[in-house]
Amino acid sequence: MTESVVLPAEQQAPLEGVITGEVVRMYQEVAEHPEGEFHFYHGRQAAELFGYERDWLDRAPPGAVASFAGVGNPHLRSRLQPGETVLDLGSGAGLDGIIAAWQVGPLGRVIGLDLNPTMCRKAEAHAAASGVRIACHEGRMEDIPLPDGSVDVVISNGVINLSFRKRRVIHELFRVLKPGGRVSITDIVSAKQLSQSIVNDPKLWAS
Amino acid sequence: MFALLEDAGFNRVRSTVVPGFAFRKESTRDAAEAYGVKAVLFTAQKHAR
Repeated sequence: MTESVVLPAEQQAPLEGVITGEVVRMYQEVAEHPEGEFHFYHGRQAAELFGYERDWLDRAPPGAVASFAGVGNPHLRSRLQPGETVLDLGSGAGLDGIIAAWQVGPLGRVIGLDLNPTMCRKAEAHAAASGVRIACHEGRMEDIPLPDGSVDVVISNGVINLSFRKRRVIHELFRVLKPGGRVSITDIVSAKQLSQSIVNDPKLWAS
Repeated sequence: MFALLEDAGFNRVRSTVVPGFAFRKESTRDAAEAYGVKAVLFTAQKHAR
């Protein structure tokens, strides 16, 4: 998970497609059935564990909180300022984007990006119910559909590890950030190279 | 990830382990432990022009 996976091209493309499908399926499952059991902790329990303020979790729509599937708290170091433009990479059901929108205020802007258009609509609806706006784009983190130098801050929570092309993702973050822009990312890393059996297992990769 | 951020040109790359992160299922937790899997908070800045 620390580096990009290098497989022969004829193997990588089909596997990447299968894993992408599994990622979309799993996180939609969390959003639609948050009462279910998953490999990871999720919902309010996870958010509280990572130090999300109770006030945020009380104010956000229950659906956004219940579907939270992050691995940490990118808000601890994001230092968001009123008026800033924020990209929430892998915005899911929208909890992190909503918290960011509260922080940047009405003069700021939060842009979501998610592979799954259903999740994008969910994040936008949750944001609207919170009195803020998230403009969510369906798209891939390896090809962010935003212009160069258009974002002040990128936040992300447990998403980049899902990509086969992490180097490409990080270059995309650099590209869309304005000069002086910053990232605050929580993610999963491993000290050892994952075995091929894990790499080849879409369910394990997606979790 | 730290090296990827530096290689891309980011400055002030910092990382902090997320306390309390764990997988819920025991089988996944055991595998994650064997591979040294952890959650990390990374921050970095793009140089100001």
